[in-house]
Amino acid sequence: MSRPSGTNIALGAWTTLVFLFLFAPIIVIGIYSFNGGRLLTAWDGFSLEPFTAIIDRPTVRHTVAVSLQTAVVAALLATVLGTLAGMAMARFPGHWTGPFTLLLLLVSVTPEIVDGIALLPWFVTLGQDWSLLPFNNGYVRLVIGHSLFATAVVTYIVRARLVGLDASLEEASADLYAKPVATFFKVTIPLVGPAVLAGGLLAFTLSLDNTVISSFINVSGTTSWPVYVLSSVRSGLKPEIAAVSTILLVFTLLVLGLVAWVLKRSGSSVTDTMAVN
Amino acid sequence: MPRNGSSRLPGFVLAVPAWLWLTAFFVVPFLQIAWFSLGEKPGMFGSHSNAVMSLDRYAEAFSPTFFTIFRATLWMSVLGTVACLLIALPAAYFMALKVPAHRRGLLVALVMVPYWTSFLIRTIGWKVILSSEGALAGFLTDVGLVADPHDLLNTRGAVLLGLIYNYLPLMILPLYVAFDRVDSALGEASKDLGAGRIRTFFQVTLPLARPGMIAGIILVFIPMMGDYVTPAVLGGTKGTMVGSLIASQFLTAQNWALGSAMAVVLILLTMLIVILAISLMWAVGWLLHRRSRLVIGTVRTKEVTA
Repeated sequence: MSRPSGTNIALGAWTTLVFLFLFAPIIVIGIYSFNGGRLLTAWDGFSLEPFTAIIDRPTVRHTVAVSLQTAVVAALLATVLGTLAGMAMARFPGHWTGPFTLLLLLVSVTPEIVDGIALLPWFVTLGQDWSLLPFNNGYVRLVIGHSLFATAVVTYIVRARLVGLDASLEEASADLYAKPVATFFKVTIPLVGPAVLAGGLLAFTLSLDNTVISSFINVSGTTSWPVYVLSSVRSGLKPEIAAVSTILLVFTLLVLGLVAWVLKRSGSSVTDTMAVN
Repeated sequence: MPRNGSSRLPGFVLAVPAWLWLTAFFVVPFLQIAWFSLGEKPGMFGSHSNAVMSLDRYAEAFSPTFFTIFRATLWMSVLGTVACLLIALPAAYFMALKVPAHRRGLLVALVMVPYWTSFLIRTIGWKVILSSEGALAGFLTDVGLVADPHDLLNTRGAVLLGLIYNYLPLMILPLYVAFDRVDSALGEASKDLGAGRIRTFFQVTLPLARPGMIAGIILVFIPMMGDYVTPAVLGGTKGTMVGSLIASQFLTAQNWALGSAMAVVLILLTMLIVILAISLMWAVGWLLHRRSRLVIGTVRTKEVTA
C-alpha cells in the first residue's frame, strides 16, 4: 500500500511544500534578527547590533518584563482553576458537566477580539464606576484577560489525562482506608501532575503571545511586549524586534520541548508504577 | 446541593472557581456589551448611555460602510477557509496514512511549532518577505509578474495569504486526527470490492474524515472572521476587516454602543454561517451516502461467497 507510486510522491512533495510554507516567516525572522539596518524590512548586512540594542532600550526590556511577569501569574491562575475543573469533570461528572462544557467551548471559539472589546468596558465599569481599584491596574487586567482561554486549555488537558487513567487507583486508595483528602493529595495529584505541568506551560506561552485582548485592555505603563510590537508596526519596525522574537521563540521551543519530555517520561513512569503494583 | 445526601462535598465544587471566574470575566462582560448595544453614544465625550433604549445601533451597524467591509471580511474568510481545507487535505492525508507510524509524531510536532510561536511575529515575518525591499518583490518585478515592487504588501491578497498561513495548522491537525482514525481495513475492503484508489478515497476515506473537516472549518473560519492583527500588519489601509472596524469604534471613535452592536452582529452572523455550512456538509454527505449504499447493495450477494 505504501510503495512509492506517482500519487504518493506528489502527496509527499505537496506536504514538503506545506511545511516550507509554515516555516518560511519563522526562518526569515530568525535571519533578519541579524539585520544591521535601521528598519527591519530593509536588509543592510549582518550584524549583532539588534541583540545588543535590547540592552540599551528600556522600553523593550520593560515590555518584555511586563509580558513575562503577566505570563507567570496568568499561567499559575489558569493552572489552579483548570486543574480543579478538569478533575471535577473527569471524576465527578453529572448534570453540571454539559453546561460547563458548553461554557468552555464558547470561551475557546469566541474570537479574541470579542473578549477584548467586552473586557475593556467591563474593567471600566468595575474600576471606575464601582471603584474596585485593582481593575484599573494594568497587570491585573492582563492577567485576567490572559487567564480565560488558558483556563479552558488546562481544563481540557487535565480532563483528558484523568479520563485516560483508570479510576481504580483512587478506588484502591479508598479501599485501603485512605481518607478522601489523603487520596486526593497522595494519588490523584501525582497522577495529574504531568498534565498540570503541561497545561501550565502552555498557558504561559499563550499569555506571552497574547496580542488582541492585551491591546484592548492596555493601560499605559504596563504595555506588554506583543502590544508594543503591534504599535511599532505602525511607527516603524526595528531589527531588535526580530532579535527579541528570536530569543522568545527559542525560549518557547525549549519550554514546549520540556512539556513533551515530561509527558513522555511520566507516561512511562505511570506504567512502571502500575507494573510494580 | 449534595444529591446523595453524603457528608462529603459534592465533586463539582472543584469546578466552581473556574465556573465563577469564566462567568465574571467572560459571560458577564459579553452580556454588558449586549446591553450597551441597545443604547447610544451621548454627545462628544461620552462613550455609551442606556438612557434611551433602541435597536438603532443595529440599523447603524448595517450601514453601507459596515456592510461593505463585512462582505469583504466574509468573502476573505470563506476563501481562506476553503484554501486552508484544500492545502491541508493532501498534507494531512499523507501524514496520517502514508508516513511510517514512528515518524508521524515528529511531523505533528512540526505543525504545532508555528502555531505555538507568536502569531504577531509570524505575520511580521510575512511583512518582511513581501516588503518592497525584499528579495521576493525584486525577483517578481524582474521576472515581470509584478509591475511594481510595492504591489505585494498592503493588498487584500497579502491579507488573504496571512490568514491562510496563520490558521493552516488549525486545519491540518483535526484532519490528521480524522484520517488517523480511519481504519485501513475499510480502505482495503473497498479495494477488494473492486473500487479504484480514487473512488475509495472519495467514497470511503473522505466521508469518514468529515468530522475532522467540520472541526477544522470551525477552528479556522471563526477566528478568521474576527482577526484584526493580520489585516493591521499586512493590509495597511486596503485590507480593513470587520475586526479593525469594531476595534476603531472602541479605541478611536469611542462609540461603545455602535461597537457593541457590530460585535453582536459579527458573532451572530458568524455562528449562522457556520451552522449553515455544517448543515450543507451533512446534506451533501447524506446524499452521497444514499447513492453509495445503493451501489453496495447490488454488489453484496456476489461478494459474500468470495
